[in-house]
Amino acid sequence: MIDNGLLVQMLIGALLGLSVYLPLAAGQLSLATPAFYAVGGTLAALLSTRWSALGATAAGTLPLGSLVLELLLGGLLAGLLALLVGRLVLRLQGIYLAIATIALVEILRVAILNLPFTGGAVGIFGIPQPFATAAGYVLPALALLALAGWWCQRLEGMPLGRAMAAIRDDELAARCMGIDTTNVKLSAFVLSAVLAGSTGALAAHFLNTWNARQGSFDVSITTLAFVVLGGSRSWLGPVVGGLLLTALPELLRPVGDVRLVLFGLVILLGPVLAPQGLITPALLARLGRWGEEKER
Amino acid sequence: MSKPLLEVRELSRRFGGLLAVDRVSFAVQPGEIFGLIGPNGAGKTTLFNLISGTTAPSGGAVLWQGTPITGQAPDRLNRLGLARTFQNLRLFEGLSVLENLLVALQRHPRSSALDGLLGTARHRRAERQRLDTAWQLLQELGLAALAERRAGTLAYGDRRRLEMARALATRPQLLLLDEPAAGLNPAEKDQLGELISALRQRHQLSVLIIEHHVPLLMRLCDRLAVLDFGVRIALGSPEQVRRDPKVIEAYLGSGSNAGGRAP
Repeated sequence: MIDNGLLVQMLIGALLGLSVYLPLAAGQLSLATPAFYAVGGTLAALLSTRWSALGATAAGTLPLGSLVLELLLGGLLAGLLALLVGRLVLRLQGIYLAIATIALVEILRVAILNLPFTGGAVGIFGIPQPFATAAGYVLPALALLALAGWWCQRLEGMPLGRAMAAIRDDELAARCMGIDTTNVKLSAFVLSAVLAGSTGALAAHFLNTWNARQGSFDVSITTLAFVVLGGSRSWLGPVVGGLLLTALPELLRPVGDVRLVLFGLVILLGPVLAPQGLITPALLARLGRWGEEKER
Repeated sequence: MSKPLLEVRELSRRFGGLLAVDRVSFAVQPGEIFGLIGPNGAGKTTLFNLISGTTAPSGGAVLWQGTPITGQAPDRLNRLGLARTFQNLRLFEGLSVLENLLVALQRHPRSSALDGLLGTARHRRAERQRLDTAWQLLQELGLAALAERRAGTLAYGDRRRLEMARALATRPQLLLLDEPAAGLNPAEKDQLGELISALRQRHQLSVLIIEHHVPLLMRLCDRLAVLDFGVRIALGSPEQVRRDPKVIEAYLGSGSNAGGRAP
């Protein structure tokens, strides 16, 4: 039922869910993930189609090393953009930050649509493929997700991660405890952007074409739904949410556009039925105890 | 006298038409417990917010060991050595008691994000030190048995002590306590006085304390300032302040309005 192509899409969904989760873990509702995803994707599409040094062939293949380089560059460029933009928009709080980040997504979407070298509405196509089949993308997507998950897990036992949790609970108290909240929020925002940028670079190759629609407001809402459904108290929440919500509409493909209604319903019903999302701290604690008992 | 640790000079704050703090001056000497009392609405908490950087003053200056620090951000002031608690308790309620302290200990010692990510020996050593200090503070304030509990689930008196522990974890030279006895029962209030004295000794602290429970302050403080309608109406030892006619008038009201406001 789930083929390799859908599996890669699900993993990309999980990665984007994590990208929304990171600022949220510091109490910042940023919807900018699609903007950074678009930056990474556009950069990878441009580089691999135009820069011959990357080694793209006429047959449409690409060396694996070039893909890794693009993942790094995509993350780097998105991170730099986040550093610049973050200084401005992170002064805003709550819903105002969300609106400002939606504006960023729109600005980038319109820019990519109209820039002379990004292919307009059609976009960039014939992006070289480092792997012959969709199955080849499973491993790099999985590796990227594992790396991101590992980093999120480590964060919880680090000053930066604790500072993020403190800001989420009470920003003023965090400041009064000597935490440079501006820097911590910016760090979370940049990490989120790097992750989205690298994910975009991978997605551009996987999808084979890239255009402005990849990073739109719809994606903001979709990726937010990943976190709402999965839960925002643990990094596992957005991963589960991303996997499930990407798979669901594909499996329901026969019903067509109703999938957008479905996302709306999840955002509407999710907080009502499971206010903390599917993955809650209580659930993780229960799983932990269960695991310990099995080991005995 | 040695150079004051904290000096407040002609500090004012206006909220629209209300002058909440009106040219208040005083100084806290190193090692001193300095009390701030006054009837409700006298401007005590506003003055605290001005000193700790959470509200910008409209005029005047705050000096830290002789250097102006007026209007600096609260995180910078904390790093200088000034930590506060909140009248309405602002714990990190979703975190455990231990984590609340670890947040405050994040600069003692410092370790970089890269060390943390790679789990280097330096990071592990720093984490061990933080944990040691956190446990010491928990034991000192009688919170060790509650270490794993979520801060939001604690009883009121425990929350008050956790706030003090959290402030102490940032290694302040000056501890600002905003009504630490509020909501405590009489037995807890008695213990609080002893606790604050003990903490001053062990951590070489100066303490600036706002409190409504006047008997506690009379016992505890080296000196007191009295605020009324934003103006400092008295300053001196507890004995001097107790006898000051202006203080008696502010608390008990003058003849025509006797008993208007109780201490």
